[in-house]
Amino acid sequence: MYKYDHIDQTLVDQRVIQFRDQVERRLNGTLAEEEFRPLRLQNGLYHQRHAYMLRVAIPYGLLSAEQLRTLALIADKYDRGYGHFTTRQNIQFNWVELEQTPDILAELAKVEMHAIQTSGNCIRNITSDAFAGVAADEYIDPRPVCELLRQWSTLHPEFAHLPRKFKFAINGAKEDRTVLLCHDVGIELKKNPAINNGELTADIYAGGGMGRTPILGSLIKQGLPWQVLPSYLTALLRVYNRFGRRDNLYKARIKILVKALGPEEFARQVEGEWAQLHNEAKQSKDNFTQAEWERVAKHFTKPAYQKLNTVSNEVILAATPETERAAFARWLDRNVKSHQIPGYASVILSLKPHGTVAPGDATSAQMNAIADLADQYSFGELRVTHEQNLVLADVEQTQLLHLWRAAKNNNLALPNIGLLTDIIACPGGDFCSLANAKSLPIAKAIQERFDDLDYLFDLGDISLNISGCINSCGHHHVGNIGVLGVDKDGEEWYQITLGGEQGNDASIGKVIGPSFYANEIPDVMTSLINTYVEQRTGDEPFIETYRRLGVTPFKEVAYKNNGKHSKGALA
Amino acid sequence: MNQKIIYFPKDGQPTIIANEWQVWDGERDEGGIPDLEHGLHKVLVPFHWWITHYKNADIIERANRGEIGVWFAADDDILKHADLIEEGKKLWPVVGAHFPIFRDGRSFSTATLLRDRFEWQGEVRAIGDVLIDQLLQGARVGFDAFELRPDQNLDVALKQFDLFSVVTQNSWRDQRATTAA
Repeated sequence: MYKYDHIDQTLVDQRVIQFRDQVERRLNGTLAEEEFRPLRLQNGLYHQRHAYMLRVAIPYGLLSAEQLRTLALIADKYDRGYGHFTTRQNIQFNWVELEQTPDILAELAKVEMHAIQTSGNCIRNITSDAFAGVAADEYIDPRPVCELLRQWSTLHPEFAHLPRKFKFAINGAKEDRTVLLCHDVGIELKKNPAINNGELTADIYAGGGMGRTPILGSLIKQGLPWQVLPSYLTALLRVYNRFGRRDNLYKARIKILVKALGPEEFARQVEGEWAQLHNEAKQSKDNFTQAEWERVAKHFTKPAYQKLNTVSNEVILAATPETERAAFARWLDRNVKSHQIPGYASVILSLKPHGTVAPGDATSAQMNAIADLADQYSFGELRVTHEQNLVLADVEQTQLLHLWRAAKNNNLALPNIGLLTDIIACPGGDFCSLANAKSLPIAKAIQERFDDLDYLFDLGDISLNISGCINSCGHHHVGNIGVLGVDKDGEEWYQITLGGEQGNDASIGKVIGPSFYANEIPDVMTSLINTYVEQRTGDEPFIETYRRLGVTPFKEVAYKNNGKHSKGALA
Repeated sequence: MNQKIIYFPKDGQPTIIANEWQVWDGERDEGGIPDLEHGLHKVLVPFHWWITHYKNADIIERANRGEIGVWFAADDDILKHADLIEEGKKLWPVVGAHFPIFRDGRSFSTATLLRDRFEWQGEVRAIGDVLIDQLLQGARVGFDAFELRPDQNLDVALKQFDLFSVVTQNSWRDQRATTAA
């Protein structure tokens, strides 16, 4: 795990002092709210429906047990005893006081954390694969590049006030677990003997994003040597900073610029700018150096793994008491992932227990318990996933049963990873001032409706994503089933999209028709799922059945059995 | 206009000095450029105005006396006027880059291009909606003079430059710190 050097530590400490001064000027009235707003946003501080919300960065999703304990402490001391893990590897505290935020930042700085650029029109927290460094399908550990780019983007002076927010994702595995194509810039790291002598290179995708106009990113550069990422990304951001639209908030994201110019023309402009940077004598000093790589990469070496043999699930289950075997087997199947190292596995702790308050929420007690589990079973480290769950990445297979029992005691062992109730949802209208509709009661109602684990198991992989507004923090566009809260004449309605997908075959879901009332949504889900069950062949996953049949059969049942528009909200 | 500016030369200390340059928006004074006989003698004219007027004899004369500089609007594409800017190096003691509103960051890129692409050695001044909390970024990308919005407290502004002793990317003023402890 990356350890701050004195440069990183000095920077976050001085950032606390800077923000404390900004808060003081806000409180004594010399800094107007309108002018404070972008400053506080660049420190992750939102003003929400009921209170201030602080978003803390978890760069590329990596946390130490000590950091998690500090997050628990912050939840207890400054908030209401819980935190919310988001889809972009951040954690949010929903009930903080403006006056106390500098103190919270100081607590974070003590454990090498910060809230820098977790919001605002700047380069946001860079996200990556939660299984980086351990995934069996990984070809490059992306974390050294993530960390170098975290440093490069932190308080970057030229890009402090971009037209809109700017999100990077970086992937280095066969399977894309970062939703790469839905980012302003997606960086796919590769090592190909045919390119650059097999050295690490990057393919650059630009102009992806969800929100009002969902678009998948386009490939604009292939085989870029990793050393030149700073100058290439500078060129790309400079083109966006200078020519991205600023007249209309909704058309200011880079995806609109890339779409307006066309990916080829955008790539040409970036190339032109980059060629100039190449020509300038300073280019060589912008490059990342091997020394910097080594300084950073030494923190991402493998932990002290034991020399173990791989154990099959059959053997693990044979050693499990019969009373626990069936439940444990489910958990092994859904929540345990294969590992690069024999005898180890990665474990996903579900933050989506049925009937929970909100997907991705963890209480301070859970955070402390998870920190203990990380210490006991996984070298004191854990990861945050895009799906709002937590991962213990390096667990000895022979310890899985013990870990499962401990996780169960803390309500973290529901075997629903990748299933219908592993819902991605934004905080919605319960908290967020942007939301048009609530998302949490919808998630809860669906979890209550589909509470039978055997049935969920039988359904297999289905992603269900819920957003409370068009900004799509719940990433509904890439859910196999998406639910979007919309406002019509002051009432909350819900629009359904089908066919979205994250991963290598990423696609944007299509709206099936007019929206529904909140209390209709569980029935709509039942209709959609029943249709899938009737129509699927063998073990065909939901998305394949949808792609084979198209929207029509699903649409028909959704409106035949529902859509009566009887008024009513969920409790 | 602000009677005082912050001047922060690349290898010097930030100080508060008297403002010698008035910024003309190109609209007022129907007769053309403001009267430089009375009041301030030096004026920053809009770059788009310069493009259409720089061949006028009186403008050439004043420019030769060092009384005229230009300012770039946030949406001026300075790369499209490289020849004029190269010529301007010999003429303009000061250029400005304008912030129409504090949260519009285009002029950060303009200043970067002036320093890196055009190797501009003279003063680059931030003008317009310039607030205390833009100074650090501005100083790093290439601005060495700041005319703050008149309501800003210059003493508080001056303190901003002492906030950070490390940076993590290269810029006009400093190179990223790379030595690990």
